[in-house]
Amino acid sequence: MASPDTAPEPVIELRGVEKHYQMGDTLVKALHGVNLKILPGDYISILGPSGCGKSTMLNILGCLDQPTIGQYFLSGQDVSQLSDDDLSQVRGKRLGFIFQSYNLIQQLTVVENIEVPLYYQGVPEKDSREIAVALAQKVGLGTRLDHRPTELSGGQQQRVAIARALANDPAVILADEATGNLDSKSGGDILRIFDELNADGKTLILITHDEDMAKRTSRTIRLKDGVVAFDSYTERQLA
Amino acid sequence: MNAPGIIKELSLFRLKRSIILGVKSLWMHKLRSLLTAMGIVFGVCSVIAMLAIGEGASYEAQQQIKDLGSQNIILESVKPTNKTTAGEQERSLILEYGITYNDIAQIQATVPGVLVTIPSREVKDFIWNEAQNVDGAAVGTVSWFPEMRNRNVVRGRFFTELEMSMRAPVCVLSKSLARQLFPLTEPIGDTVRIQTSYFRVIGVIDDDPAVAAANYEKEATGDKGDGMEMMIPITTLEDHFGEVLFKYRSGSFEAEKVQLHEVTIRIDEPDQVMPASLAIRHILERNHKQVDYKMTVPLDLLRRAERTKQIFNIVLGSIAAISLLVGGIGIMNIMLATVTERTREIGIRRALGAKKKDIVIQFLIETVMLSGAGGVIGVALGLAIPIMITHFAEMVTIIEFWAPALAFTISVMTGVLFGIYPAFRAAGMNPVEALRHE
Repeated sequence: MASPDTAPEPVIELRGVEKHYQMGDTLVKALHGVNLKILPGDYISILGPSGCGKSTMLNILGCLDQPTIGQYFLSGQDVSQLSDDDLSQVRGKRLGFIFQSYNLIQQLTVVENIEVPLYYQGVPEKDSREIAVALAQKVGLGTRLDHRPTELSGGQQQRVAIARALANDPAVILADEATGNLDSKSGGDILRIFDELNADGKTLILITHDEDMAKRTSRTIRLKDGVVAFDSYTERQLA
Repeated sequence: MNAPGIIKELSLFRLKRSIILGVKSLWMHKLRSLLTAMGIVFGVCSVIAMLAIGEGASYEAQQQIKDLGSQNIILESVKPTNKTTAGEQERSLILEYGITYNDIAQIQATVPGVLVTIPSREVKDFIWNEAQNVDGAAVGTVSWFPEMRNRNVVRGRFFTELEMSMRAPVCVLSKSLARQLFPLTEPIGDTVRIQTSYFRVIGVIDDDPAVAAANYEKEATGDKGDGMEMMIPITTLEDHFGEVLFKYRSGSFEAEKVQLHEVTIRIDEPDQVMPASLAIRHILERNHKQVDYKMTVPLDLLRRAERTKQIFNIVLGSIAAISLLVGGIGIMNIMLATVTERTREIGIRRALGAKKKDIVIQFLIETVMLSGAGGVIGVALGLAIPIMITHFAEMVTIIEFWAPALAFTISVMTGVLFGIYPAFRAAGMNPVEALRHE
């Protein structure tokens, strides 16, 4: 019999995820059994002091790394054991990345940068150009299509990165300290874009140590020593 | 990651975009790209230029040898250098040596396929035109000499069989002799003198290509008087000079008895030339106690020239391989630096969905474009240099149609070969670490 649970299918589900690193002779357990469900349309901030496993968490959620133990379901598919090629495919198709240092490719223009994920998905040039131009306009860079990253301000570069993260219409957008390199005004612009995206139904995960940023999100997860110490969704202290 | 997989991924659409991307990346470092490609440029350019020069030189040499007639065997009498020869000759005032009528009779009787022989004798002395004189030789020969030896009569005509049987006092001058004796006037119709005999000039013939060919073989004897020769009917020569030739030089005279100075034997089947030459050598070795003859087999010279060319090609190939190796290592070095420099870009691309093979293809295409561009410039220079050499140095150069194609292909292959390692190194990077790279 089907369970009476009518909650929507989670877009991300971590089951007992652990990540171990060998650092010289000692085995470091960066993640210590993380269980987490993220639903479509969630607007989440993951907080925690440095060394709490935030980066490891981001790498695993972003399919850049795989858990040592445990399972990771992304849109219902177990991605914890995929091959390198399949993992690349998952990243390109279902995930969008926004980095602290923008990470644009210097030799490409604004439009070309936005097109990169589409290129690896094999979208024909004409279609990908159309999508990229529309996204550039959406983040307010419609007049700077042929500029190179060095000709843009930090805020503008981060907006290009957002447009790029949206290009493949991903299931989840991961933002790692997205406003960390920006002044408060540009940072505020970026956060407003995030709010709008979430309002449009996008699932966003912001990794940050900025409490103000966390306040804007609908759900806060605090990591401590490799485990989820607090999850505002369950409204209780876990550890 | 197997090769067919990569090829499948490399659809035309992706190829085009990868090439555009490669151009952009290379263009960002114009000077570096140019300098890197230089290694290939000079490698390819020197291969084509050297091939063209070598091909031209060997063509010229082979042409000279072919002018002697590839079905011919040429026998020449040579004055023995060894003074301690047979005692009988020591006592005699007359030096007797060289190829005899008897030799030729034996050769014609025993060697199959001997078609025609051109006997010739020569008298070496001063040739006079009034007060002008040149140290040269009167060569007595037969009327079919020009066609047998591929010598062109450039002016006038050669003597005929009739003139031969009539023992007519006519002569045909070699071009250089004509130039020396008649620098300003028309030689034909005039007369020249050698010793006490006068001859009417009826024609001018091309210089002996054997002089040049012998130079090529580094066996130039100088005995030929450097092509200063006049042809007269062999019968006339006998009449005027007899069997024993006296040569008066300042204060002394030499007497020589030589029956035939030069004989050209034509073999009717080209593939019988080498066996026939062996047989003739045997006959001569048996008849002559000392080496007072010289045998030239143009076909043999031709084969030797071809072998020389083969060795030259091997040397050339090695030089080409080394220069392309050096160029390739230069490219690989720069590509490894580029991969390190662009570690972050690689991380970004991996995060955005690039598979390992996408990264491999990207860097491989960049390397191949670098070496291919070097190849194109190299081919252009390699084609220009031989043309300039021909124009300014008046040397024959031959550009084989396959040489630029081969050189270009090799340059591209060099790019592939030396691009594989950097490309795989780029693809093998851990995306997490690549993204963290400063």
